[in-house]
Amino acid sequence: MINLWFWLVPVASVMALGAAYFFFRQMMKESEGTPEMARIALHVRHGALAYLKQQYKVVGTVFLCLTVLFSFLAYVLHIQNPVVPFAFLTGGIFSGLAGFIGMRTATYASARTANAARDSLNHGLRVAFRSGAVMGLVVVGLGLFDVAAWFLILTRFYPVESSLDDPLQNLVASHNLVIITTTMLTFGMGAAVQSLFARVGGGIFTKAADVGADLVGKIEAGIPEDDARNPATIADNVGDNVGDVAGMGADLYESYVGVILASAALGAAAYFGKGADVQLRAVLAPMVIGALGTLLSIIGVFLVRTREGASSKELLGALARGVNGAAVMIAVTSFGVLWAMGVPNKFGIWLALIVGLLTGIIIGRAAEHYTSQAFGPTQRIAEQSKTGPATVIIGGIGEGMMSVAIPVLAVATGISLAFYFAAGYHFDIDHIGLGLYGIGMAAVGMLSTLGITLATDAYGPIADNAGGNAEMAGLPPEVRRRTDALDALGNTTAATGKGFAIGSAALTGIALLASYVEEVKIAIGRILEKGSDFAFPDHTVLHPIASDVATLQNYNLMEMVTHFQVVLVNPKVIVGMFVGAMLAFVFSGLTMKAVGRAAGLMVDEVRRQFATMPGIMAGTQDPDYARCVSISTKAAQREMMLPAMLAIAAPVGIGLIFGVPGVLGLLAGGAVAGFSLSMFMANSGGAWDNAKKYIEEGHLGGKGSDAHKAAVIGDTVGDPFKDTAGPSLNILVKLMSMEAIVVAGVAVAVHLL
Amino acid sequence: MPTYLYLSLIPEALIGSMLPPDEFGLYFAVGSAKRSSGQALFFSVDPHQLPDKAFPLGHLAERCVPHPDGSPKNSIYVSIYRTLESVPISALTAMHLATDDGRVLTIKPQTFVPDEEVRSHLYQEFCPVTPRVVSRLDPQEFVTFITRPDQPVSVPRIVFAELTLGELKNDPDSSRIDNLPYPNIGHLRDCLRELNAGAGKPTKTVMRQMHQQMLFRTVRNGFFVGDQEGIVAFPMPSSEALEREHFAWWRSAQMSFGH
Repeated sequence: MINLWFWLVPVASVMALGAAYFFFRQMMKESEGTPEMARIALHVRHGALAYLKQQYKVVGTVFLCLTVLFSFLAYVLHIQNPVVPFAFLTGGIFSGLAGFIGMRTATYASARTANAARDSLNHGLRVAFRSGAVMGLVVVGLGLFDVAAWFLILTRFYPVESSLDDPLQNLVASHNLVIITTTMLTFGMGAAVQSLFARVGGGIFTKAADVGADLVGKIEAGIPEDDARNPATIADNVGDNVGDVAGMGADLYESYVGVILASAALGAAAYFGKGADVQLRAVLAPMVIGALGTLLSIIGVFLVRTREGASSKELLGALARGVNGAAVMIAVTSFGVLWAMGVPNKFGIWLALIVGLLTGIIIGRAAEHYTSQAFGPTQRIAEQSKTGPATVIIGGIGEGMMSVAIPVLAVATGISLAFYFAAGYHFDIDHIGLGLYGIGMAAVGMLSTLGITLATDAYGPIADNAGGNAEMAGLPPEVRRRTDALDALGNTTAATGKGFAIGSAALTGIALLASYVEEVKIAIGRILEKGSDFAFPDHTVLHPIASDVATLQNYNLMEMVTHFQVVLVNPKVIVGMFVGAMLAFVFSGLTMKAVGRAAGLMVDEVRRQFATMPGIMAGTQDPDYARCVSISTKAAQREMMLPAMLAIAAPVGIGLIFGVPGVLGLLAGGAVAGFSLSMFMANSGGAWDNAKKYIEEGHLGGKGSDAHKAAVIGDTVGDPFKDTAGPSLNILVKLMSMEAIVVAGVAVAVHLL
Repeated sequence: MPTYLYLSLIPEALIGSMLPPDEFGLYFAVGSAKRSSGQALFFSVDPHQLPDKAFPLGHLAERCVPHPDGSPKNSIYVSIYRTLESVPISALTAMHLATDDGRVLTIKPQTFVPDEEVRSHLYQEFCPVTPRVVSRLDPQEFVTFITRPDQPVSVPRIVFAELTLGELKNDPDSSRIDNLPYPNIGHLRDCLRELNAGAGKPTKTVMRQMHQQMLFRTVRNGFFVGDQEGIVAFPMPSSEALEREHFAWWRSAQMSFGH
């Protein structure tokens, strides 16, 4: 019988989806406002839908090809788990669905938020935030549903019932738990592929539109932001939805399930041999903590409200009340749950959870410190604008590089402490399994309240679009002031949200390294089952006999990496690390160049429309918004293929040449370089953006000054940093890990060196 | 279609057009196919108040006719060079400020009323010459000073705007100048210090000519047109009024980069 605690997972899933539906219905009951507001919202909605349709066609083709490939590996070559093709598909579908629902909600919510802001600031905040909460809750709801459903299905095929009187049944149940959890990890790859396309494609779309709209609209034509005369302005608004909402939703869905599944797999491995019952509790703990966090997130959503005429600090306080409230509640209640579940070393595991929560908060605060105009780093970049754009860019790159220190040290400290606490207060490789489980649980702690932290993230683009709608519809200044206040708040929460996303990716990346080794073990077992010998690189040979199978099952992580010679002096590992680090840069370069090319096409189109449609500037003729959306869509689809294929091909290629040590090197190099580079790019871009805003607030000469002009250039350079390459790197790291796990059988069975 | 007469300041020209001020401002700022952009300052001119034979207006009615496709004639240049001096101040019925993207704000003339505050002034001249100067003189005194024919350097008539000096108006050394967008603030401070120190020159040139566009947000009080006969003010609405009543223009106006 499955532990009763498990049922909290589907219950939380249903409640999250129910609450999301409730908030969605509430939002839909609001009016879209004037016919002009509704018309603008419809343009954005159609554009976003057209983009997603096109994206799903491309992604669908990729999924079809990969499913056929995985089926071939599983059913013809028998070197892969037969569940993989199905798990891969469900992960992809659910990840896409989470992004799709979030984006549809956002496109319905923007005009309604603007209209609610006509009534009051609090009304606007409530509509925007609860619409954001739809995505937050859909992501965690679908994630928990997927996890619960696969766990239930797999326990039918691999029973996990244990008996105190039957050691054999216990052993089988223990082994099954390892198989179930590592198999479930493979649906993470479907989610990762979907989120890669969503993030990269959405990122290219949104920045091509944004940069294109700015370069011609603002710089050449002197048209303000969100002016309906700018042909690219609808594409810009569509971009906010497809990049910042659909892309982020798919991304964090993948992070969320990845964290839970990796921790569950680590729990199964760490407590292997300690009894299936204990092992099951360790497997269920991350799922149950996720479920608990989801329920608390729903409560947190109701805590967010403010008074009319609230200052930006009060608005931030209102959001913080919801987010911090949920965090405090999970910190307190999780101990009780772990204690009631009977998880071994409950206090240590609880401390690891708290470490994760604190690490997330530190990374978020560091991101805020380095990107908010209220603090020194951004003000220093603004100061550099007095001497022109070159020094702004140098300053932004410098501050961005410096900004990597705190998050990296926070993650390093978090990893160390989580390991120490979960390993029973030891910090040595003798307790590596337990320590790694603690790292996984720290990542679970960080993302446990994703339901509400993601709500604050998704709130940002909704408020941004509401401002655009208010602007284009010519709403009165007091309404625009309210939507501007809501939008400014969104910029701050976005920086914090990105910090959480990147931080959790780093912890997950480490946890997935261990899961990869577990999957490798299963792949070797499959070779032995087929009656073949398996020789490790250190010449240890396992034969297809029961004793060797048992020996393999009892290998711990250290023994596995020792047999595979995963040491720094092994050239296979070093080559893998170099390639992994290089990939982070090449991937970023490809996405940045893609934005440049796509923005160029947008610039040409906007110039063409201005030249051939003279009524646009007079306001007597509507620009061809759809054409700009179409250009950005096509460019994004075309440009995302190469970086996506690179990310998908790398683990397979390295695995086929250098085998398991090479893949581990690749993952380690990719994770370390990717995390640092991602942090650098996100913070540089955010700081450039806010340095410009700092000047616009009336510093260093204010709007229109030479300093402002230099800062605008810095902001434009930073756009693809913070919204395309930076966030996409998270997924590169996670996708490579997930994919390595999925195709572990290939690297084990076939490798050149 | 009626024919309108406009006095443009950049460049100095008298222009006939079939476009009303808002459309003329748009055309003047962005051209007919958005291949250019740039702010424009121009006055509506009452042709009945122009002196006889000052301009060849007789041919204007013949030349300013719709195009064959029925669209209105955008512009017919009637006069360039030394045009302002031939247009009496009383003929200027409104001033129009067009932003880079063609939004137009119209401001009406009023009798000049000096404020009582003793301070330094920063003036941007637009026509017939374009230096930027600091001065101890208020706008009326400045007009009288700059248009005196017995001075070695003078102009017959002048259009200028007073720009904000912020805290520098009373203290050239003030550090609270964060929102002043002018280039080379150090030089501006030097000019103000020199002005305050010397009892001689009432004005001091800060920039010999406008290199870039002006920033409308820096206009303090408004624009002035004057000569030895008198001065007329075209007051700028307050920023609150601009935000409330002319939001589209105000937003566009803040998009410009310049000095």
